[in-house]
Amino acid sequence: MPIEVVLLFAWMLVIAFLAFIACTFEDLESDMGSQSNPNSQVQLAAQVGQVNRFFNKAISGEPLSNAMYCVTAGTIAWLLLRQFEPLVPGEEWKAAVLAIPIGVLAATMMNVIFATTAHCGRVAGQKRFEQPIYLDVLYGHLMPIGAHAFMTTFCITVIAYIQSNLGTLSGNTALNHPFALPLLGFIWGITVGAIGSSTGDVHYGTEREFQDRPFGEGKRVVYHGKITRYAECGVRTQKDIAGFCAKFGGPCTGLTFGLIILFENWRSMVGMQLGGFLPALPVFTATGDMAAIFAIVLGLLIVAALMVGNLVFVKWVRKKYGPFVGV
Amino acid sequence: MTVTPAVVEEEEEAPKKGLSFKFPPEETEMGLIAGIIAAVIVIFTGLPAVIKGVGLLLAFLWGMDSVRKTSKYGLGTGVPSIGVLATGYGVVGALMGLAVAEYGRVGQLYPAVLVGVIIMGIIGYISGIFANGEKFIAMKIPRLERAMMELGMAGTLAILLESSILTGSLSFAAVVDNVMNTGLIALLFIFNCFAMLHPYNACLGPDERRERTRMVAVEISGLICVLLGLAMIGLGTSPYGILDGVSLIVFGVIVWVVFFRMFIKACMDECYATVGTGMIKTIE
Amino acid sequence: MILIVGCVVIGGLLASLGAHLLPVGGAPAAMGTATGIATGTVQIMLGAVLTGLFTAASVATFTDNLLLVSLSGALGATVMICVVMFMANVLYAFGCGVVPVSGRVEVDPITKEPQTAYKTPQTDGHGVPNVVFVSGTMGGFIGGFGGALMYYALLNYAHFSAGTAAVVAFSIFVANAILAAYNIRGTIEGFHDPKFKRLPKALVSSLAVSLLCGIVVVLATIILGGAL
Repeated sequence: MPIEVVLLFAWMLVIAFLAFIACTFEDLESDMGSQSNPNSQVQLAAQVGQVNRFFNKAISGEPLSNAMYCVTAGTIAWLLLRQFEPLVPGEEWKAAVLAIPIGVLAATMMNVIFATTAHCGRVAGQKRFEQPIYLDVLYGHLMPIGAHAFMTTFCITVIAYIQSNLGTLSGNTALNHPFALPLLGFIWGITVGAIGSSTGDVHYGTEREFQDRPFGEGKRVVYHGKITRYAECGVRTQKDIAGFCAKFGGPCTGLTFGLIILFENWRSMVGMQLGGFLPALPVFTATGDMAAIFAIVLGLLIVAALMVGNLVFVKWVRKKYGPFVGV
Repeated sequence: MTVTPAVVEEEEEAPKKGLSFKFPPEETEMGLIAGIIAAVIVIFTGLPAVIKGVGLLLAFLWGMDSVRKTSKYGLGTGVPSIGVLATGYGVVGALMGLAVAEYGRVGQLYPAVLVGVIIMGIIGYISGIFANGEKFIAMKIPRLERAMMELGMAGTLAILLESSILTGSLSFAAVVDNVMNTGLIALLFIFNCFAMLHPYNACLGPDERRERTRMVAVEISGLICVLLGLAMIGLGTSPYGILDGVSLIVFGVIVWVVFFRMFIKACMDECYATVGTGMIKTIE
Repeated sequence: MILIVGCVVIGGLLASLGAHLLPVGGAPAAMGTATGIATGTVQIMLGAVLTGLFTAASVATFTDNLLLVSLSGALGATVMICVVMFMANVLYAFGCGVVPVSGRVEVDPITKEPQTAYKTPQTDGHGVPNVVFVSGTMGGFIGGFGGALMYYALLNYAHFSAGTAAVVAFSIFVANAILAAYNIRGTIEGFHDPKFKRLPKALVSSLAVSLLCGIVVVLATIILGGAL
């Protein structure tokens, strides 16, 4: 296999690892700031009389907010790359090393601004439930939220950069993705948010938010709103929560996104390799169809494997856990 | 144990008079003024970017009002969905407007762009009929048709104004080159979504007050102006040179600083208590 | 020209259908109170379709076949939804100790496993049982197919550039998905859920909105004379 093809597959693996890290930190950032679905419980808690010291970061849903950070980072990085790349012809990665962190820094500032307005606005709207704004909660959580968001957005921006410059990095510009950097940031921002919201929030919402309820049951409707407010180190804040969820929820979510990116990009690459495409990319010949067909067949195999896996897994869980016991 | 709350009783009056700035508080008048001014500004593409920024601000205030009116009744799926809907309509309407604009062009004036705005208003109204009608989705939200029409129009105006800021004109080929192919349309899309949905979503609660919510909308517009100014400098398409982009950034920063401070102060004054730290209580 | 309108309308209808098939548990599912994916309809639909659109865009650079591009997009979305549902099950089983069961039916329609004995009382089910998994796979496939179809039509029949086609296809898709989300009103478990019978009403609305948007796109294309 020629070296360009090996390089392509190597970049695929780099992207998959970065995706793993990105989604782990995305889930932790949404646990650190209590965003999206479990946040409805934090909102409800004050309304049922449980004054709490949680950070009520209500910035819409995770897909949209992560899309915003990643697009901001992507746009500013892209603008800076436009200015810097003509200065270092032949070694564009030097421009990227400078441009990407600055863009991500701007996105982190956006995150902190929106988090502040969300928390203050929501608590001010709960005046009649006697929920105060705790200034130490407000100031003490902005830095961790920003740090986690930096990691997520950094990884996603690097993924978008690699994907939009894949051809340039490995020698054949036709392999660059047709979408521009900000648009790729948008796409992966929404995806990472959707995954973090559907997978990682379960660990926070079902397990950690109601820690004093028995393990092994879904949380009943009568529990809603009565979140755990007193915990191991006194009154619970988000900093206690993120540390717990980092043990299981975070890596699980990261694994999900890493697998998805691996399957997506790797499928297309393998299809192109089997279709005899690489390293040069012919345009619209009959072999183009074959490459796509290989990729589709691979996709079908993956879906079938997952479905069988789910069947086996659910059966195993039912056997191991047995019917519900207790009241 | 608890620190005495920082709020003083007479502060209740002070926020009210400083906050409603220059605009009449009523929603229909707000919509009319914003719509007319923004529509006029979008025709004259040769204006400096700061004036277009003001038009953008008004369009967002209009959109935010619509979102707020609709979401107050409970959408079932949450506030963000209607903001995304508005922006989706906005992109399709902008496409239509830009395509038609070539025909009505008079030098640097593009009056035919408003055709796109009006068509999107019609589509918004029709989708509102479908969403609210008894035989269809039947959401039973009063005046949903009018709200969706306003959202369609506000979204389209916002995207058109932003495209004209970034491109300096509204000719279709230039806009596609500068806005769509470069991926900046994604930036416009997501920030338009946020400018319309974040104010109400962030201030959700039984004690939400319209003046406070509007401050958030203005503050987000300030942020957008900063980003657009940076993009303008990067793209280099303005007929006024780099001064245009810099002036837009300065305008954005000033608007953001003023309204962010106003909002946080208003929140801290109007919430139940602002304490440095303290224990929590349970109210049965 | 009719082809563009046709593709947009079919894409819109498939979007609506896909949104109804996707199992959405909403906020309650994140607390283990409802079955399905623990997020909102709009969010997961957008995530799936954008992944599909990404794959379809890269496939569209080297092939011209409508079916292949659309199928690539569909499979991209399906793979994403399947991985998400599987890992959500892993989280529910090991992180929270609950068995994936459905709250709307007594017996799983596909594998005939009894559900009620394993369900926590006073909840509406939790996790992603097998019938919900199958429903989600179908929903992801159909939604991704619709999105990629619209992208292909805009790219090759209306001759938009890649970025423009992606954003316009996404906007029309978003409008349809949100109307479907309003119809679902929060949570749905899949095709075995009684709420699924509300589908035709959303399809009619989707048809109207997609038709209008398709006409707008065609008018834009005609006026521009096919120049971008």
